[in-house]
Amino acid sequence: MYLLLWVYRSHLWIMTEINKPVSILPLVRFRIAFGLLMFASLIRFLLRGWIDTVYIKPTFHFSYSGFEWIKPIGDPGMYILFLAVIIASLLICLGLFYRIAAIVFFLGFTYIELIDVTTYLNHYYFISLISFLMIWLPANRKFSLDTHFKLVQSSETVPAWTVGIIRFQLAIVYIFAGLAKLNYDWLIEAQPMKTWLPAKSHLPVIGPLLYKEWVAYLFSWFGAAYDLFIVFFLMNKKSRPVAYLFVIIFHLATAIFFPGIGMFPYVMIASTLIFFPGKIKGDTVLPPIFKQNRLLPYALIMYAVIQILVPLRFLLYPGHLFWHEEGFRFSWRVMLMEKAGAAYFRVKEKQSGRRFEINNSEFLTPLQEKMMSTQPDMIVKYAKYLAEVFRKRGIKDPEVTAEIYVTLNGARSQLFVDSTVNLSVQKTGWQHYNWVLPFKTTR
Amino acid sequence: MNMIKRPKSGSFLIAGLFILLFSCSKNSSDPGIEDPGSFDKTAMLTNYADNIIIPAYTKLQEDVDALIVGVNAYADAPSTATQDAVKVVYRQAYLSYENIEVFNFGPAGTALLDYYANFSGGLTYSFTENGVLAGYTVDSASIENNITSGNYDLTVYERNNFYSQGFPALGYLLFGPDAIAKFNNNTANRVKYLKDVVQRMKTLVDKIVSDWSTYRNTFISNTKSDVGSPIGNMVNMLAFQMDMMKGPRIGWPFGKQSNGIVFASKSEAYFAGIGSELAGANIKSLKNTFVGGTGSKGISAYLVSLKKETLNNDVLAQFDMVIGKIEAIPDPLSTSFTEDADKVEEAYKEIQKLLTLLKTDVSSALGVQISFMDNDGD
Repeated sequence: MYLLLWVYRSHLWIMTEINKPVSILPLVRFRIAFGLLMFASLIRFLLRGWIDTVYIKPTFHFSYSGFEWIKPIGDPGMYILFLAVIIASLLICLGLFYRIAAIVFFLGFTYIELIDVTTYLNHYYFISLISFLMIWLPANRKFSLDTHFKLVQSSETVPAWTVGIIRFQLAIVYIFAGLAKLNYDWLIEAQPMKTWLPAKSHLPVIGPLLYKEWVAYLFSWFGAAYDLFIVFFLMNKKSRPVAYLFVIIFHLATAIFFPGIGMFPYVMIASTLIFFPGKIKGDTVLPPIFKQNRLLPYALIMYAVIQILVPLRFLLYPGHLFWHEEGFRFSWRVMLMEKAGAAYFRVKEKQSGRRFEINNSEFLTPLQEKMMSTQPDMIVKYAKYLAEVFRKRGIKDPEVTAEIYVTLNGARSQLFVDSTVNLSVQKTGWQHYNWVLPFKTTR
Repeated sequence: MNMIKRPKSGSFLIAGLFILLFSCSKNSSDPGIEDPGSFDKTAMLTNYADNIIIPAYTKLQEDVDALIVGVNAYADAPSTATQDAVKVVYRQAYLSYENIEVFNFGPAGTALLDYYANFSGGLTYSFTENGVLAGYTVDSASIENNITSGNYDLTVYERNNFYSQGFPALGYLLFGPDAIAKFNNNTANRVKYLKDVVQRMKTLVDKIVSDWSTYRNTFISNTKSDVGSPIGNMVNMLAFQMDMMKGPRIGWPFGKQSNGIVFASKSEAYFAGIGSELAGANIKSLKNTFVGGTGSKGISAYLVSLKKETLNNDVLAQFDMVIGKIEAIPDPLSTSFTEDADKVEEAYKEIQKLLTLLKTDVSSALGVQISFMDNDGD
């Protein structure tokens, strides 16, 4: 009885909290910045010719388990899809047909990202999540063409959860990125910074310093502290302006030091603007357009729980996280390792003993080969594909084995998988890959 | 969502770290203080440009000029004597060419020298059936067709065209089956084609030599290590050349992709029969590139400065191992694939080990990506 009462009271309390009126400005700023940035990112992708090299040229794609039905849609299909997403990003920015644009952007962008695992980047996952959330957010209720054309009623205020959910998402990204850095390699060995920084000695002023080990430690520790705590400083009114200055400097620094990470720094600089609140003019109550949904608290709690549990799933696996990469993706692990591999595959016909060495370049793009060579789930998918190809070439019962050498964070390259195991019959999925050999640290 | 209050000391901590970060960047502007842990990349690149790359191209240029003289003598009077004479200069030019293969970026990359001078077929083509244009084969049908019709443009960017010129086509024209006899039929056209092929090689090499005089500054002043930078290019090319060695140069014609079925005619310098010697020259030039000539201003020394001495020693030892194994394979290489298969097999194993070291350990240690797109750094 008391329990029921408690649940009911909590429900009422949460309903009040999440529906408190707050200024719409942070949301509107976010919408405009996000739309513009996505527009720029997608144009950049297009101009670099990556649609062709990544989605049209390759004959084989590393699909996500469960999403094997997602395939590239060829030329001009892929270009049309990109165009649709580009237009959607502009519409989001302008706030025109906002909800439809957000849906098109989310579905289109996510479809593209699900085509090939080798293109996975944490910030692409972030963009998918944010665009999913934006479908549900009233970010077009002010400074938008939707309100200008009276397609929707404008509003000065929005329910608190609509701004809060984006802040929560950013908190998840930063804090998990920080927690991921609390490991031996990062803190004690200062790896991979110790490897990466000397390669940046061309930078003006600071360049010669990058050979020094203490600088690698400074970068590592400062980076970890930044990721762990920046959100808290952004949430606090007094520290917010200084904290945002840090955000700008930190991410610009990463953009200068590690240009390979692409648009990520700019995405974060723009996104963290959401922490700046806006002043409410006039009415401090929510307009009646925002109907209270009694299921909303549970949807939010469920989303939050998933966001917290997914990055923690690695705890369920026995292997070395960076080596086995089980539970590695979708967990905000960025800049954590210098990993490279060389993979030599062989196909053998069981009965006749005929042996064929595989030329990876025949089947994979350089990016695909590089990614596959160090990640067990892709190794299995490739082996299965090779078995299929050789079956078609008339080989009965092809056995696919591989001699793969991988180096991780400065440790010498070593055999990655059991070279006697037929990889084409291994399962991909949630279970531990027991055919991946244990990691031996030898620096 | 106003979740947690700020711990006051925290902001000071971050501010402190920040100040520390910036104060150290000020210190570094002190000129003249050479840190023992640092490495002079500009000096390294200058060494590569002035002592290795430019001299190697200049030597190739001289040897191509000598080749032209030899080719002309052969064309004027085709005989076994002039054939033997031209083989000497052909071999010399080919050996010099092996020395610059690893520098296939900058001017040579722009000129697509590797496509037009010694086409390997690229890494994406496999050796699974006969008749496919792959490896260092020649497209004799296209060559004969060009000669008969007299209607050809050697600058066209086309696979058949790559296979109709450069050292391999020259080998076919000079030393191929009934080479001398063929010059007695349709002589004028054949002589013209022969001279056009060798002249095209000269044009390409001359342009690259003259381009390097200006490219040199671009090369030595870019001390970055990212994709497309001089350091990035050299490390990538070292790995790529080893991939070529494992693939089109030795492994694939040897039958590694084809259950031991040998593709003799797709091996390098098939008609001149000097494939093994060329492979030896290539691997020695790779070692020389890794070391940087004398040793104190090369990739090898750079590795040592990064405290990767063991790795460096292992790579050097593996280079010597591979050199020994390749030199043990007698010429013609195409015959050794069947006659001395065990020796080729041994070399192949060691080649793969060296490729692994360069592609994983060395590129990783130097922070050089073998990639072309954004990444998480993971």
